[in-house]
Amino acid sequence: MPSMNAVLFISFLLFSVGVAGVLIRRNVLIILMCVELMLNAANLNLVAFARHSGTVAGQAFALLVMGLAAAEVSIGLALVVALYRKKDTIQVDQINLLKG
Amino acid sequence: MDPLLASIGQYLFHIFGLMAVAGALALVFSKNAIHSIVGFLLSMLAVAGCYLTLSAEFLAVAQLLVYAGGIVVLFLFVVMLVEMTKFKEKGLFQSQAKWAVAAVLAGAVVILSVFWSTWFGPGASQALTLGPELGQGLDMATQNAQAISRGLYAGYLLPFEILSVILLVALVGAVVLAKTERV
Amino acid sequence: MPIHSSVLWLIPFLPLFGAILNGATGRWVKNTRLVDTIALGSMVLSFLLVLGCFAQLLGQAPANRSVDQTLWTWFDLGGARVLGGVTHNTMNWAYKFDPLSGAMALLVTGVGFLIHLFSTGYMAEERQNGTYYRFMAYLNLFVFSMLNLVLGANLIVMFLGWEGVGLCSYLLIGFYFEKEFCAIAGKKAFVTNRIGDFGFLIGFFLLFMVFGATDFDTLMGMTRTILARPEITLFGLSHAPTWWFNLIGCCLFLGACGKSAQIPLYVWLPDAMAGPTPVSALIHAATMVTSGLYMITRMNFIYVNAPVALALVLFIGALTALVAASMGLAQYDIKKVLAYSTVSQLGFMFMGMGAGAFTAGMFHVFTHAFFKAALFLGSGSVIMACHHEQDMRNMGGLRKLMPWTFASMGIATLAIAGIFPFSGFFSKDEILWRVFEGWYNGGHFNGSTLNLVTWIMGMLAAFMTAFYMVRLMVMTFFGEYRGAGHDPHGLTVPSEVVHAAGHDDGHDAHGHGHEAHAPHLPQEVPWNMWLPVAILAGLALVAGFLNIPHSLHWIGSSHFSAWLQPLLYQTGAHEAAEAVPAMEYILMAVATLVWAPAAMALAWWFYAVDPTWARPRAFVKRFPELFRWVNAKYYVDEFYQAAFIGPCKQLGAQLWAFDSLAVDGMVNGAARFTLLLSHAMHWFDAKVVDGLVNLVAWILQQISLGFRKFQSGRVQNYAFVMFLGFLVFAFWKFLA
Repeated sequence: MPSMNAVLFISFLLFSVGVAGVLIRRNVLIILMCVELMLNAANLNLVAFARHSGTVAGQAFALLVMGLAAAEVSIGLALVVALYRKKDTIQVDQINLLKG
Repeated sequence: MDPLLASIGQYLFHIFGLMAVAGALALVFSKNAIHSIVGFLLSMLAVAGCYLTLSAEFLAVAQLLVYAGGIVVLFLFVVMLVEMTKFKEKGLFQSQAKWAVAAVLAGAVVILSVFWSTWFGPGASQALTLGPELGQGLDMATQNAQAISRGLYAGYLLPFEILSVILLVALVGAVVLAKTERV
Repeated sequence: MPIHSSVLWLIPFLPLFGAILNGATGRWVKNTRLVDTIALGSMVLSFLLVLGCFAQLLGQAPANRSVDQTLWTWFDLGGARVLGGVTHNTMNWAYKFDPLSGAMALLVTGVGFLIHLFSTGYMAEERQNGTYYRFMAYLNLFVFSMLNLVLGANLIVMFLGWEGVGLCSYLLIGFYFEKEFCAIAGKKAFVTNRIGDFGFLIGFFLLFMVFGATDFDTLMGMTRTILARPEITLFGLSHAPTWWFNLIGCCLFLGACGKSAQIPLYVWLPDAMAGPTPVSALIHAATMVTSGLYMITRMNFIYVNAPVALALVLFIGALTALVAASMGLAQYDIKKVLAYSTVSQLGFMFMGMGAGAFTAGMFHVFTHAFFKAALFLGSGSVIMACHHEQDMRNMGGLRKLMPWTFASMGIATLAIAGIFPFSGFFSKDEILWRVFEGWYNGGHFNGSTLNLVTWIMGMLAAFMTAFYMVRLMVMTFFGEYRGAGHDPHGLTVPSEVVHAAGHDDGHDAHGHGHEAHAPHLPQEVPWNMWLPVAILAGLALVAGFLNIPHSLHWIGSSHFSAWLQPLLYQTGAHEAAEAVPAMEYILMAVATLVWAPAAMALAWWFYAVDPTWARPRAFVKRFPELFRWVNAKYYVDEFYQAAFIGPCKQLGAQLWAFDSLAVDGMVNGAARFTLLLSHAMHWFDAKVVDGLVNLVAWILQQISLGFRKFQSGRVQNYAFVMFLGFLVFAFWKFLA
């Protein structure tokens, strides 16, 4: 049985890496994958707290989040495809049509 | 052999956790997008392993199915679709990378300093024990699927249904967004 | 007690109505006969009314001889601060018909009517060119003004008439205003009159300040009281009453100088001959020029108590008489000779006034009116008969051609020369005797030397008068007619007659061709022209018997003096029943039997005996400078031009230049300044105000440029900021 803190620490690390990746990488797909990472880190947290408190809400929540993540990924990737078709690139710093 | 397995078993979660972090690092820092996806896959698998060590078997399998099976494949498809190996990236990292890293490190430092005593202090290694109340009268550890199903379909039915609608919406949306003009 | 009349006002106002009617309608009503009827009719009616009022006066006792009428209140000052305190005397438009004003009114309307009649014939050409109505209207207007002057019951109405006759004189002198010299002559008359009027007004104001009233009756009654004061203080000056009376008398006399053409304001009268001859006869012989004398007689209560003023009047009158008579000796224009004769005779009248003989002076006014009007009208007939010729050198021999005119003018000449028993003798000799007596003083020869000097001047002037009048008669009527080109002795000069519109227009009946054609011989003028002349000459013959002096009391009595006597201020000194000194008879005899005939004989000898006029010509050749000076009227006009008129005009030009430069310059400067101001404001608005507005816009732009950087359009920037925000959120509790 891992300790609560270890789980939390691991999920914290995962989340930080995910945030860093979102803010660092140019490639939009990598950024999406980092967003998934963050979601997973949150899931881990949820499961840990569900274990600790003995309720099932946490795990149900994590399940729902997973489903949501799936939906979000599909939409995101569809967006990327459409964007690629339009701009012929997937570098975020070239997608600046809203530049003021 | 048994004591070795027992000690490994004790630290299994940590191993899986570190594997997830390594995969995440590979995801963030590799040059090749395919390599990143592989790192992502590794991370997903490791997280599934984490779930197993936390006696959330249903969730682990769902993770494997959804993430490692579906999402990673999707990513692979899209990567191949955009033929990223063809063109050169200007640079791997964004122009704000330095600032971002600094900000993230700053944030990390602050959180660590806040939670240091909690995580690595004297009561740190308090195990993640099961609470005295059982989930819905079932033992979550041994009857995990039943417990989750009981909670999901009884207590959280509405979110479950809404999630299915969301999935439908996402499905339609993805089709609409990604279709070509010719069709 | 004065009689109140309700018809007195018609006497002056009938001619006024005639003038208004003719003046307003005459231009469109082309019937000149109608104009005649209106003008003559109003004159006749006025004359008859005067006769009626005169008869009314005759029926009264001498103390009651006054017919009054007050028309309305003209000035009500409320209360004026004068010498005695505050006076509430109101000035009314009132008329007073008493012996003096009645006699003058009779003269004005009577002689005025005769001259109107004469004008109907004389102004025949004007009937065609549409200016006839204007002439008649002006003549009527003049009679109205003159009647106001003589009938006025106070100084204000008299002054109204005074100014009115000046105006009408100007209008009538400049009747042919298209000719520049006529307009200039009219202007000269008016301006010179105005200078005199200034003196009159000063005298009038002083009179009002001292007496507090303007009514003649009131003034006469107050004189004794004012004289009884030891001292009168006005404007901070304090003098005896006599001093103030002297001042008033001198100021009023200045007005009389302007109106009656005395030195130094006589220069307008000879130039006034540019007007039509009837105008010269009426205004400048009989009526207007006598208004100054009338004024002095009215104001006798002032003059009798103002010896300095009287001495001034005497001296100026004598000087004028002498100088004007000398000028008349060398004139060739028939009307100019008569004009100078008028000035000279006016001087005589003032001499009479100055010697204290008011009635003698007034009597000379009347006799002079008759014979001078006769002479002027006769000369008008002559001019018209000679086809507008006015130069006597181009006339001659008219005695046989114009017998009636000759006879009338002959009688008038004898009258003016002072031959017994014509009227001029009685009036002129009475004046000269009174002047002499002032020095003679009943045999003591200790009177004022001024009287002696002026008497000598008067005698010399009388000599010259007789001389130039006979000269005029000989040149015009005797010898051969020189105007038809028949000039054996070379006496004619190039005629100045300008065809179709001469000096004074009186065209004869038959049309008149070019001067190159043989002009018709002059012939007698129609009845409506020689009849008034004859009537006036007849009056000149018999009028003398109205005022036979006391020394000749077996012939008749001095009706005229007695008539006027109640109006004079009685000083208490009265020469009622003194014995007549022998000197008077001697002087009378000398004047009429020796002095005047000698002058006439001299003139006859010069001009009639020798048709070539050799003696006058020799005289002129011997004294060319003298002749030049006299002929040029001693260059007085030129002197005035150089000394007064020229500098005045220069001042006017300088003031105009000042106005043009300074005042207009200021206006232009103001305009330029405004323009400059507007430029400055425009600059301010464009640079500063717009600059501020632009500055605000620029600031906003810079701010927005700064803020624009946030909108990079890049998702990763937005994500980073979100993360930072999250950090701040999360650690707010811990950091703060």
